[in-house]
Amino acid sequence: MAAKFPDADWFLALGRLMEAEGELFRRLGYAEVRFVVHVIGDDGRAERETAVELDGYKLGRAAALEDAPGFDPDFTICATGAVWNRMLDEIARDGRPEARHTLSSLALIGQELWLESNDQLREDKYYRYNQTLQEFLNLSGKLPR
Amino acid sequence: MPTVQIKDEARIGSDARVKLQPSVYLEKLFQTGTPDLSWMNQHGEWGMRAKPGNLGLRLKDIEIGSYGVVPDHGGDHRSMAPRGAVVPSDVPSLGFTINEKAECWADNAMELYEEAVARQWSSARDIPWSELKPLPDDLEHAMCQLCTFLTEVEFIAADAPTRWMSQINQDFLEVKLFLATQAMDEARHTDVFRKRALANGGGLGKASALSQLSLKRIFDSPSFSAQTARLHLLGEGFVLTMFRQGEFIAPSRVDSEIFRRCMQDESRHVGYGTMHLRAQLKARPELAEEIHDQLDDAESILLQLFSVPESVEPMAILLGGGLKHFDQGMEMQANLWRRIVNEYLQRCDSAGLDRRPRCLLPTDFTKLFAA
Repeated sequence: MAAKFPDADWFLALGRLMEAEGELFRRLGYAEVRFVVHVIGDDGRAERETAVELDGYKLGRAAALEDAPGFDPDFTICATGAVWNRMLDEIARDGRPEARHTLSSLALIGQELWLESNDQLREDKYYRYNQTLQEFLNLSGKLPR
Repeated sequence: MPTVQIKDEARIGSDARVKLQPSVYLEKLFQTGTPDLSWMNQHGEWGMRAKPGNLGLRLKDIEIGSYGVVPDHGGDHRSMAPRGAVVPSDVPSLGFTINEKAECWADNAMELYEEAVARQWSSARDIPWSELKPLPDDLEHAMCQLCTFLTEVEFIAADAPTRWMSQINQDFLEVKLFLATQAMDEARHTDVFRKRALANGGGLGKASALSQLSLKRIFDSPSFSAQTARLHLLGEGFVLTMFRQGEFIAPSRVDSEIFRRCMQDESRHVGYGTMHLRAQLKARPELAEEIHDQLDDAESILLQLFSVPESVEPMAILLGGGLKHFDQGMEMQANLWRRIVNEYLQRCDSAGLDRRPRCLLPTDFTKLFAA
C-alpha cells in the first residue's frame, strides 16, 4: 500500500525521487535544514508531526517526531490537514500548487499555514531554501495517491 | 617542447623607458643553477590536511589549526597578505580602516557565503520568460511600477557595502567573500526586475525622490555597522517581505519565480546583517544609541516613502488582483504591514537591539492615514 502524507515513509519516497532528480536540486543549490511538518486536525489539536531533514541535495532523515528524540528543528510548518491536502491535490493536478497556495505564499498570510520557531535566524532558512522545499514537495505529484 | 610564437617579438621592450637589472638571486641562479628554496622554510602549518565534507570542501572545512583562528584585531600590516601566511615586514599597507573583528564579523558569514555560491541562479536561464503572457493594463502598470522601485533600490545593497568592503582588514576575508556574493545577488536582482519591466510591454515607471533619499542615507552612513542597521536590518528586511509578497501577488509564473528566487537571496543578506549587529552590540553595547539614531531616521523615511501613490497603489492593485479590487488589496496590505513591522522588530530582538520602545513604524497600517 502506498505511503500517505505525512507518514515518514511518504517523505522517504520523496527522498528517493529527490535523488533521482539530482540535477534539479543541484542546480538550485544545497539545502541544510531540519523541520517538522505539523498536521493539525479539524479540532485544532495536533494530528501528526513528522521530522524531516534535508542534507545537501538529498533527504537526510524522515521520522515521526515521537520517534526522533532530540530532533532540533529550525522551524515547524503548521497547517491543517485540509490545507496540506489542497496543496498536494494541486501538485498532483498541475505539478505545483497555485501561486497563492505555495509554502511561501501561505506562510506570508499566516492564517492557513504558519511557522513556529524560537529563532528568527533559523526560521529564515524557510525562505533561504524555499525553492528547494517547494520542489521537494512538488515531487509528490509523481507519487501514487 | 615547441616554442611559443609571439608576434613582433623583436619589438617587445624596444621603447621601454625603464631598464631592470637582474636580481642578485637571479644572477646567482643563472651562475650556479642551484635553486634557493629558502621559501620552503617559511610557511604556516605544514602537514595539515583539510578534509572535504559531504558537500565538498567548504570554508568551514579549512578553518583548521591556526588557519581557523580569526583574530579579534586584524593584522597590523594592513595588507592583503593571507591570514596564516608568513608576512614579510615590508608589505605596503592598503590602509584598511575596519580592523576590529566586531566591526564587521558575523558568525554565519562563512555559511552564507558557501550557500550563496551554491545557490546562484541566472535571470536569463532560470526564469521561464517564454511563459510571460499579456496582462490587463492595471496589473502590468502595477507590476512595472513595483519593478521600477526594485530596480531603483536593489543595487544600493551592492554599492554601499562594497565601499566598506575595501576598508575591511583582509584577516576577516570570510566577511569580504560574503559581501562579494551579496553584490552579485543585487546585480542579478537589478537585472531581473529591469528585464521584467521591459519584457511584457509595460516598461519602467516613475522613480522616487524619497527612495533616492533613503539610498543616499544608506550610502552616507558613518560606519559599517550603522549602514548594516539601515541596509540589512530595515531596508533589506522590508524588501525581503516585499519579495515574499511578490510570489503571492504574482500575476504570472514568471513573476512568482522571480520573487521566490530573489527572496532566497535576500534572506541571506538579512541573516548576515542581523548576526553582524548581534556581534557588534555584544562587543560594544554603547553603539546601540548610534544604531537607534540611524533607525529613527531610516524608519522616518520609510514612512514618508509609504505616503506617495506610486509606493502604495501598485502593491494594493497586485494584492487585490486588479484595480477593481483596490480596497481589498489595501486591506491585505494592512495585514502584511503588521508582518513587516513584526518581523523587523523580531530581527532587532535577535540582534540584541531593543527597538520596540523607539520604533516609529505603527503596527496598524491605518495609522499611516490618520492625521
